[in-house]
Amino acid sequence: MSERRAARGQAAGASEGHSAGMAIETRALSKRYRRASALTDCTISVPEGRLSALIGPNGAGKTTLLRILAGMASPTAGAAAVLGDTPRQDPSFLAEVGFLAQEIPLYRRFTPEDHIRIGAHMNARWDATLARTRLEELRIPLDQRVGTLSGGQRAQVALALTLAKRPRLLLLDEPVAALDPLARRHFLATLTTALADAEGGLTVVLSSHLVTDLERICDHVVLLSRSRVQLCGDIDSLLAEHKVLIGPQKDTLPIERTHQVVQAVRTARQSSLLVRTNGPVIDPAYQAEDVTFEELVLAYMGADEASPARHLTTVGED
Amino acid sequence: MNWVVWRQYRAQGAIALALLAAFTAVALWQGLEVASQWHSLVATCAGNSGCLRQGDLIRGVANGVPYLTLAVPVALGALCGAPLVAGELESRTSDFAWSQSVTRTRWLAAKTGWLLLGAAVCGGVVAVLVTWWSGPENAQLANTFITPQYDTQGIVPIGYAVFAVALGIAAGAVARRTLPAIAVVFAGFIGLRYVIDDFVRPYFMTAVTTYFHLTGPGVSPPGAAWMLSQGMVSPTGQVVSFAVPDMYGGVLPASCQNLLPSLGPVKGGNQSMNAVYSCLQARGWRGFVTYQPASRWWAFQGIETGIYVLLAAALIAVAFVIVRRRDA
Repeated sequence: MSERRAARGQAAGASEGHSAGMAIETRALSKRYRRASALTDCTISVPEGRLSALIGPNGAGKTTLLRILAGMASPTAGAAAVLGDTPRQDPSFLAEVGFLAQEIPLYRRFTPEDHIRIGAHMNARWDATLARTRLEELRIPLDQRVGTLSGGQRAQVALALTLAKRPRLLLLDEPVAALDPLARRHFLATLTTALADAEGGLTVVLSSHLVTDLERICDHVVLLSRSRVQLCGDIDSLLAEHKVLIGPQKDTLPIERTHQVVQAVRTARQSSLLVRTNGPVIDPAYQAEDVTFEELVLAYMGADEASPARHLTTVGED
Repeated sequence: MNWVVWRQYRAQGAIALALLAAFTAVALWQGLEVASQWHSLVATCAGNSGCLRQGDLIRGVANGVPYLTLAVPVALGALCGAPLVAGELESRTSDFAWSQSVTRTRWLAAKTGWLLLGAAVCGGVVAVLVTWWSGPENAQLANTFITPQYDTQGIVPIGYAVFAVALGIAAGAVARRTLPAIAVVFAGFIGLRYVIDDFVRPYFMTAVTTYFHLTGPGVSPPGAAWMLSQGMVSPTGQVVSFAVPDMYGGVLPASCQNLLPSLGPVKGGNQSMNAVYSCLQARGWRGFVTYQPASRWWAFQGIETGIYVLLAAALIAVAFVIVRRRDA
């Protein structure tokens, strides 16, 4: 049994709030705006110490989820436990969570040093030295207005400030979206260094569209599509659980009976089924292949789109 | 948080201080001139109040100073109040501020508290200067309840400044954008001033009405009182204003009506009017003046300031509820 499933079992056992070792647990979390639903029945858990990738198409609800977890927005239904606590406006909760919004919000006319000093006055726990050292290492001028810095430098300043809080949970909403590849690499390097320095005391949720980046650094994934959770768990276990089955075009029913077909691609000659396996695949007509992280992500992102047969995508004739 | 507020507003604070200093310099320079003119006027008139009232005071460039006072609240509300919440939301810096370990309530309390205090100080300093500077002019005036005397002196400017800033803060929190909030400050402040000036202020306290004989000398309220209305009243309570030229048409008893000189340039002048007054007097009519005594000036200032400060408190409460409850 995978680690992820074990975690779920634990979550189901604990009736209220926090199970040991979970940085984030949500139960049927929903957020409705006047017309649309931004998040529907979102139940996820992220174990402590992980770097979790939050993936999903634009408008899938990633930002909504992160803002709820950060205590910036409140859900319309369901419950969330962040480090065993309900996200709320409370100094002790806010101190534990670092949140970096998509727009890299900084005061453009203030210098990084100003921000560091502001942070010192707004946080009981504040590691100004950490922030200064990090920025000096990156050769980012502390006394220059933030508005005059490059996008990559701004993102680094914002990350350094968020880390200076010494949070136990870091929520990053597409922080690298606007960065060039080099700046992105530097940013992610800072992040992984911070994770290593924290020695398991820091959990990170990082939302991004850049699947290859995420695959390189993340060990956990939460995939949202159309406001719903499609996938949540340990990346290695998920990759082990999923297989691409290639076999004859007809008669996929026996497979569908035992395994969950996530995506099916049928051509005239053969069927290619991406399945979440339920035990070993014994049908000799099928050849089982491993899936890549990108294949897995794309399959689940598209999973909700085909209308009549919900999880099936058909390509080709007949 | 106090240091954060200082860091965020020190530039605005320096500008406000510079403007206040400049204003103080002008007010002192012109005010001393007016004061010296007044002293020579007092010496020349030697206690003759009519002479004092008609004496010329040249106020020079500072003539518009009182009106400038009324711009202070609007400027503060538009430039400091409106962006307080809305500006942070627009630039998304609210995401930075609100993800530190300080609750939004404390964040807003610190910013709002200091800004309202600053507004009260600005309004107060300007009001003190204008009040001092207007001393000689006030002494010449028959009525100091009017614009721009009443609403640029005393303590009401403090109430105005606090209200305008609170309006800017609340409007910014509701609209989430600075520009509409600035528009609300202008419209709201001017609108409320209009409503209170014209429809509420005369009724702050029950006005005093004095009756007099129509044939005798008229009564004028003592000091710089605020005359609200004057005219004649019949035994049955019908009121006729002195102010309307063709006033008496149809209202006066027919016998007195007949004595009225024909409309247009009055022939026979006071004498023919005296006949009308005697006629009315004989039928029980009386003259009256309704006014707010000069002694109520400070009470009125207190009531008006109270109204503006209470409204400001309500607006600030609205801002708190929105900032606390609404998703950031």
